[in-house]
Amino acid sequence: MKRLLPFVIIVVVLGAGLLTARYMQRASTETPPSTPAPNASPATSTPVQAEPGAEPAHVLGDAKAPITLEEFGDFECPPCGMLHPILKSLEQEYGPQKLRIIFREFPLVPTHVHALAAARAAEAAGLQGKFWEMHDMIYEHQKDWHEAFDVRPIFEGYAKTIGLDVEQFARDNSNEIVERRIFLDGKRAHSLGVQGTPTVFLNGKEVPFESLPPEKLKPLINNELAAHP
Amino acid sequence: MTRVEVRKQRSTSRALNPSYVSSETDNVVHSRRAAVLYGVAAFISLIGLADAIYLTVEHLAGRSVRCTITSGCSEVLSSRYASVRGFPLAGLGAIAYFLFFSLATLAAFGYRGMVNLLTLLVALMFLTTLWLLYLQAFVIGHFCQFCLLSALVTTTLTALVIFARIQKAQ
Repeated sequence: MKRLLPFVIIVVVLGAGLLTARYMQRASTETPPSTPAPNASPATSTPVQAEPGAEPAHVLGDAKAPITLEEFGDFECPPCGMLHPILKSLEQEYGPQKLRIIFREFPLVPTHVHALAAARAAEAAGLQGKFWEMHDMIYEHQKDWHEAFDVRPIFEGYAKTIGLDVEQFARDNSNEIVERRIFLDGKRAHSLGVQGTPTVFLNGKEVPFESLPPEKLKPLINNELAAHP
Repeated sequence: MTRVEVRKQRSTSRALNPSYVSSETDNVVHSRRAAVLYGVAAFISLIGLADAIYLTVEHLAGRSVRCTITSGCSEVLSSRYASVRGFPLAGLGAIAYFLFFSLATLAAFGYRGMVNLLTLLVALMFLTTLWLLYLQAFVIGHFCQFCLLSALVTTTLTALVIFARIQKAQ
């Protein structure tokens, strides 16, 4: 029996290893991907080779929501600022069970001189768990800062307003994680062929810019909901 | 004198020679120590196996692994060195760790011949580790914490195998 024992141990470990691999594989496929294609039909899905972007992504709404809107945005771009209230109203109208919104950083540098600083500010707030608060603040006050010479004190003021540790926030603006997240979102944007901002993907399908007004976007969402109730 | 008689004479001489008894006891103690070391090495190799399985699954799922201590996981794990002819390097690592575990377990249970195979395997693993550390430090320019953990495990395994061999040789 003693001579058989090592073989029994080896077989048990092999079995446990295979089961663990299987479990991990299942867990990773069941985890909602940061790619916005969980409900996409084959004809509309994003390329399989798409970069994943920064992880975890900034997400509003349930992982199992049938509709996913992924926005590639630049805080300084005026149409992005105009899209912001539209997405907010859609979020309220459909609710988190039906609509999931993902925000990806895509600062258009050097076209927008403060876009990168704004993206950094939002990501730095994210490190303190208040990405969306800063995201809203920056978009809603876009006109207040986009012509400023130095935006840092303005963003620090927003940080104070939303209750961040301002010193930490100022340090995190140049944090490597912040830079990395912006870079990874940019990589994802390029892998998806994003050309400008705002670019929105509805369940993996790029929504034409002219379809972003609510009266055109809502029918698209409703169609998707009808297809994936 | 027949062969049986020779054996009898030898065993008598051993019994009468206290220094021989002592050295035989030492041998038993040393091989027990070696067996314990192989057992410990087998156990530690499971850490490397779990690490390698995790990286393999993530690689095959196409997900980017997040570093929490270092910052170069995606650079390292998405580099061209992360796979060998399309096969994930982490998968090769998992196979190596499992082989190591099997051989070390057999060696711990006294199976002869396993020690040499184990030494050869751990030498290959250690050389590969050195090569991968070099790639991370000087070619890719980033370190991945999961790769560093694997390097630490392999180095520990190498040290344990060497130590076990020394124990057995004494």
